[in-house]
Amino acid sequence: MSVFVEVCNLSAGYGKKDVISDVNFTVSEGEILTLIGPNGGGKSTVLKAVTGFLPKRGEVKFLGQELEKIPRRELSKILSVMLTERVRPDLMTCRDVVSAGRYPYTGMMGVLSENDREIVEDSIKIVEAENFADADFNSISDGQRQRILLARAICQQPEILVLDEPTSYLDIRHKIVFFEILEKLAAERKIAVILSLHELDFAEKISAKTVCVRDGKIVLSGTPDEVFTRENIRDLYGISEMLYGKYFD
Amino acid sequence: MTMTKINKRYFFAFVFLSVGTILCLVGSVLIGSTKIPLAEAVRSLFGNGDYSDILWKIRIPRALSALLLGGALSLSGYLLQTFFHNPIAGPFVLGVSSGAKLTVALAMIFMYRLVRSLNSAAMVLAAFVGAMLSLGFVLLVSRKMKRMSMLVVCGIMIGYICSAITDFVVTFAQDADIVNLHDWSKGTFSGRTMNDVLVILIIVLVGVVGTVLISKPMGAYMLGEGYAESVGVNLRFLKVALVTLSGLLSACVTAFAGPVSFVGIAVPHIVRLMFGTSRPAVMIPACFLAGSVFCMVCDVIARTALSPTELSISTVTAVFGAPVVIAVILRRKKGEL
Repeated sequence: MSVFVEVCNLSAGYGKKDVISDVNFTVSEGEILTLIGPNGGGKSTVLKAVTGFLPKRGEVKFLGQELEKIPRRELSKILSVMLTERVRPDLMTCRDVVSAGRYPYTGMMGVLSENDREIVEDSIKIVEAENFADADFNSISDGQRQRILLARAICQQPEILVLDEPTSYLDIRHKIVFFEILEKLAAERKIAVILSLHELDFAEKISAKTVCVRDGKIVLSGTPDEVFTRENIRDLYGISEMLYGKYFD
Repeated sequence: MTMTKINKRYFFAFVFLSVGTILCLVGSVLIGSTKIPLAEAVRSLFGNGDYSDILWKIRIPRALSALLLGGALSLSGYLLQTFFHNPIAGPFVLGVSSGAKLTVALAMIFMYRLVRSLNSAAMVLAAFVGAMLSLGFVLLVSRKMKRMSMLVVCGIMIGYICSAITDFVVTFAQDADIVNLHDWSKGTFSGRTMNDVLVILIIVLVGVVGTVLISKPMGAYMLGEGYAESVGVNLRFLKVALVTLSGLLSACVTAFAGPVSFVGIAVPHIVRLMFGTSRPAVMIPACFLAGSVFCMVCDVIARTALSPTELSISTVTAVFGAPVVIAVILRRKKGEL
């Protein structure tokens, strides 16, 4: 199994101060890595630094190549992201939004080829969005929007997929559908998936590796079996034994 | 399938706009203080009719100016709206037109004293500098301020400051300096020669071609900066291109026709309603044509409504344009601006 993502001694921040430091992990092809941890702990910052949205120190390698040395165009064929950024485009249908994922593959004027169109329809089908594909993107629910944005990311045909809290607005059924899709993408297309999650139960089920981030540092990482113990979770989120017992036992 | 339905809509809307452009062009050549019958006009165009002079020296340059500058203004507004992700952005409300007006007025007065003349290229250059200065200031503010409504307020204030300085300068300029300054500073498509039209054509062509070339990244930019960057858009280049092209187009308008209000804001919205999309590949040509039609119609109204007195072009464009802007603001939900 070849290593798709390699993160080494990564530090990054928004001003002069580092928000995260000493971040290390690797993700191999077909693997799902989840980032868990409290709000404001640095999960999003890690994802932004890894995908090149933030100035950083340390090393990030995709498919063995250093991130900085991969041309923008090539990078967008390798890596696709789903951000928490609120998207409110004027007068775009869901299909238009999904089609935006074909950007790296279309020509000068951005005209979609027959093949591009098929991939768009395919991606819409994968997230079960055929019913509202022609609806205005602003008129659908938050959960539906998250599915469309996933379809957009899939449509980009990446080898590495990075998602920042992608399921926050989904109901339980669509959460399940969402994670099924991710597992399928990892298993069948050999995509390496990195995502931050608050749903610990799902994280435990789908990840090959889990990284716990708190106060800008990786406090623990390993396989789900190693990470998801009562002790670890209580420590990570700062939950007292009493409260933990009240809600989870 | 739905695709064909959408294509049909585009087709009819484009036919409507193209036919409208041609009709308006013919109309604005024929209509005026002297009504010229079509047959006479054709004879005068290709031979020696009675109206040759009126046609070639007054009507045709004026109609063509309105066509080209109207399209340019509308496109400039569309570029700014795209840039700021803001539906009520436009060269007039953001103070770009007023900035250009100020520098052109200054250039007119000082250059006139020095060399007794000012060619159209120098006017455009002066206008471009003014437009970019205003835009630069708005951009600086937009870094500090994320609220779009505040940005517009700021732009309007810049507009007032520039207008005040312009008025001040005009008041104290000698009469000889400002033969045309007075009419021009209110906005009009009149007084252009065929030579001016040629210069306008070249600049507008550059602006339009440039805009078409960045239509693909513009489309990606509509999903937000993060997604644009993630699919490989060179954000810095795109932003510079958007601002520069918009500045160039509105500078060209201001240099030749003075400040023209509300076209840049209102026309792109009318076009979005007509086509039901915001895809740049559709919006760019459609905005241009619709801007042309809008300005030619307004220009005909400006010169015929109270004939022989001529209204300033902004008076007319505001009457039609401002309600559109109000409608847009009302249609959008709270907190989105």
